[in-house]
Amino acid sequence: MDKLVGLLKGIFKDTDGESLGKNRLRVTAPRGSVLAVLDYLKASGFYQLKSISCVDWMDENEFELVYHVASMESPLHLMVKTRIARDNATFPTAIPIFKNAGIFEREIHELFGVEFEGNPDLAPLFLENWKEIPPFRKDFNMREYVKETYDSIPSFEEYQWQKEN
Amino acid sequence: MDRNNLIKWLKEPKKMGNKYSLWAVYFSTACGVIEVPPVLTSRWDAERFGIIPVATPRQANLFLITGYVTTKTLKAIIRTYEQMAEPKYTIGFGSCPINGGMYWDSYNTIKHLDKYIPVDGWIAGCMPRPEAIFIGVTKLWGMIDKGLATGYIRYRENYDYYRGNQEKLFGSMEWPPLYTLKEGTNDG
Amino acid sequence: MKLAEFIISPILAFIIGIFLMGLSRRIMARIHRRYGPPLMQPVIDLVKLFSQRTVSHGPIFDIGVILSLAGTIALILFIPFGGMCPLEASGGLLVILYIMLFAPLGLALSGGEGANPNISIGISRKFILSLGYEVPFILIVLAVMTYYHTISAVDVVKAQSSFHWALFSLPLFLPGLAYILIIPAMLGIRPFDLASAPQEISSGPMAEYGGKYLALAEIEHAFSIFITIALFVDMFLGGSGNVVYFFLKVLVVFIIGLLINAVFPRFRTEQAVKFLWKWPSVMALAGLVIVLAI
Repeated sequence: MDKLVGLLKGIFKDTDGESLGKNRLRVTAPRGSVLAVLDYLKASGFYQLKSISCVDWMDENEFELVYHVASMESPLHLMVKTRIARDNATFPTAIPIFKNAGIFEREIHELFGVEFEGNPDLAPLFLENWKEIPPFRKDFNMREYVKETYDSIPSFEEYQWQKEN
Repeated sequence: MDRNNLIKWLKEPKKMGNKYSLWAVYFSTACGVIEVPPVLTSRWDAERFGIIPVATPRQANLFLITGYVTTKTLKAIIRTYEQMAEPKYTIGFGSCPINGGMYWDSYNTIKHLDKYIPVDGWIAGCMPRPEAIFIGVTKLWGMIDKGLATGYIRYRENYDYYRGNQEKLFGSMEWPPLYTLKEGTNDG
Repeated sequence: MKLAEFIISPILAFIIGIFLMGLSRRIMARIHRRYGPPLMQPVIDLVKLFSQRTVSHGPIFDIGVILSLAGTIALILFIPFGGMCPLEASGGLLVILYIMLFAPLGLALSGGEGANPNISIGISRKFILSLGYEVPFILIVLAVMTYYHTISAVDVVKAQSSFHWALFSLPLFLPGLAYILIIPAMLGIRPFDLASAPQEISSGPMAEYGGKYLALAEIEHAFSIFITIALFVDMFLGGSGNVVYFFLKVLVVFIIGLLINAVFPRFRTEQAVKFLWKWPSVMALAGLVIVLAI
């Protein structure tokens, strides 16, 4: 495991690796070299992209993208992390490396508003008729939205009462 | 149960037919549907009360909404409900369609189902046992008997309320209104 | 007397068909270790369906259902049962062969107006299936007609009087067995319920039927259950001059078909046609050759 970190550090100067327990490894890379790191990892056997997750660090005004990669041969689970700017967040797509990245990116685009450049299909996946800011951002006021959308509608009894009076 | 009461059959065949031949549409919204297969198969055998599942909404007259309703599911629910033949009955199953349940604060799950389609009866619980479905159906029989299960008439008469709420959620909807949108329409 | 038969025989056939439908649900339930619905359940369903408000999809949609029901009722007038056969002098088995295709044709006509993709799939499956069972069916009827030198169904029944049943005579044993094998296909029950598979294509041709249309289709189904089995009883079990005896014979054959229905899973389309063209067809053809050789 440490060997892998050493290898990565040798090739990509600005990456940083840290072991989190027995089979888990965290690799932190800057924005520019993430795709190169993923490419290298795929070539060295980590050919399965399990998921892409996104974390909203509002105070630091940054999004954190986490690529979970794993291999079928070894029990290692790698997280490749990177920070990107929060305002008008854009990031190059990982589809050329991992084909299944498309659906994860589509979801992150919908729920966080990160624009993935080069992804051909970023249409809404879960939401219907969404007009607010993306719902998983920390500055999205869920309670206010729920009150406005679902609670503001009068119930049928209230409606009838209003109609009669 | 008055299924063998011949005099009642002759008096009001419509009511009795609707009571003892409830055909439920195959529509599973969420986790609640895990309780439905035991009800329909050997363990609890709903067919002895005439309840069978059917595959298309055109043939159904009972709609069990089993579990939380997301906005996308709500769209399908409204479509299915509008295609069913009248008279039709809806039962909300589980606490999520009643008031949101554990999705009280969710951005994408509707909280009160009866603001979008009329609901005749509720089965509370998370999850209700299969026996609760039978209790619900028995209550529905009583309601049909007394003429209280009139959700479909409510939908027809207050269509602008329901359609208005639906449009508030979905923006413009891609299918035309089922009934004419006018204040106080009532075509019997 | 003859005029009364025109009314009595469809009514009797309807009662027997509806009874068989209720019985089938009951027996299926018992095989599944359930209690099952009451015998009157199909009647309750019909009452409900007739009381429902229904949606039509256009005039052809209405005409198709009525056509298929009318064809089935007309077919009953050609079938001798319980000493009744209102149209015995008009063509016999040959006409029966023709009119048997009316019901699927009517459904196809109204399905086209329904414009639901499931209907098209269901109709095409139904026609492929009827292509499958028509071949052995025609061979069987040919064998029977050749053996008894007549096309009249009444004469076939008469020739089998006093227990000379065709099923237990040597040349017609194989065609009789073949007919038993194709009964599930003609009734559209398992293992041949691919046309109306509710789990795959949401009940196929019935997908757009609700309320009164579905009620008419159910009545049509009750009639066709009766017709299919009554034909078998007439051709191979010697018919009967007594309605009660005839009904008992129909019941026995129906329960055999039902037991097949209860335990078998569904064929795929090509498996069904493969089966129908292999075993029943070969058996019926062998029977026909034996009949011709004698």
